[in-house]
Amino acid sequence: MTAVDDHHHPRPPSAVELRAQALEALLAERGLVSTDAIDAVVELYENDVGPQNGAKVVAHAWVDDGYRERLLTNANQAIAELGFGGAEGDNMVVVPNTPAIHNMIVCTLCSCYPWPVLGLPPTWYKSPPYRARAVSEPRAVLREFGLELSQEVEIRVWDSSAEVRYLVLPMRPAATEGWSEDQLAAIVSRDCMIGTAVPLVAGPART
Amino acid sequence: MTPPATDLASVDRALGAEAPLPRDNGELVFEEPWQGRALGMAVVAIARSGASWPEFRRHLAAAIAAHRPTESESAATAYYAAWLDALERLLSERGLLDEH
Repeated sequence: MTAVDDHHHPRPPSAVELRAQALEALLAERGLVSTDAIDAVVELYENDVGPQNGAKVVAHAWVDDGYRERLLTNANQAIAELGFGGAEGDNMVVVPNTPAIHNMIVCTLCSCYPWPVLGLPPTWYKSPPYRARAVSEPRAVLREFGLELSQEVEIRVWDSSAEVRYLVLPMRPAATEGWSEDQLAAIVSRDCMIGTAVPLVAGPART
Repeated sequence: MTPPATDLASVDRALGAEAPLPRDNGELVFEEPWQGRALGMAVVAIARSGASWPEFRRHLAAAIAAHRPTESESAATAYYAAWLDALERLLSERGLLDEH
């Protein structure tokens, strides 16, 4: 076993690390893995797809009105169009923010979450205070997230369940004319799609 | 070579609440590179061998239950050590690790 030779460890590898290397070498010999294939998976998982899928859905809806329409009427199908989802039985509903309505999602019972598009929920999403207060005092919760909404804006809180999972479609910031979908997706954070933030454009253009 | 298209959400689902991947605030915890490789190795080997995730989960749960952590061992190290046991057992049960 010479796999160890080309590794540059500050310390000698631990016993379990050597075991991992030995098993990888054995599996490679049996044609069950290849270094490239493992590298590809590790890279994919390290950049945990999570919220990036949702961001692509949002960006696409921002540039394509037809897609936006399909997303709002049949979210599962529209999300599948972009190659995401695949959750049996998970019924997705996309709720659009407007100048008059701000949406946010919660799961008051547990931690139901639109994971096919957002990955896994952040810890605070699962915390009892968020679950309770998102419903009882959403405006205060949003303020704590740094989102101050005008009193005229109605806040709608959507309680997710095993049957229905919500995703917030944020409003496209005005200062993003002519941006590519990739540029747009980059400003759509996970919290924007939970509704505890709105997409921000860095720079002086922002009011 | 195209990697198998097992996305992370599918892995999470397959492992369920019984033996979830170590995470911190939703992000995977790899304390050392071998832990990430152990995960990747299983994803690739399970796809290529035609083994199933429920089978793997069964082995993993058993390996976790049987694992005797050493004093200085972190949770992620203990988890991925059990993970290696599980992968080895899964593949040897299918005769894939036999001497030729």
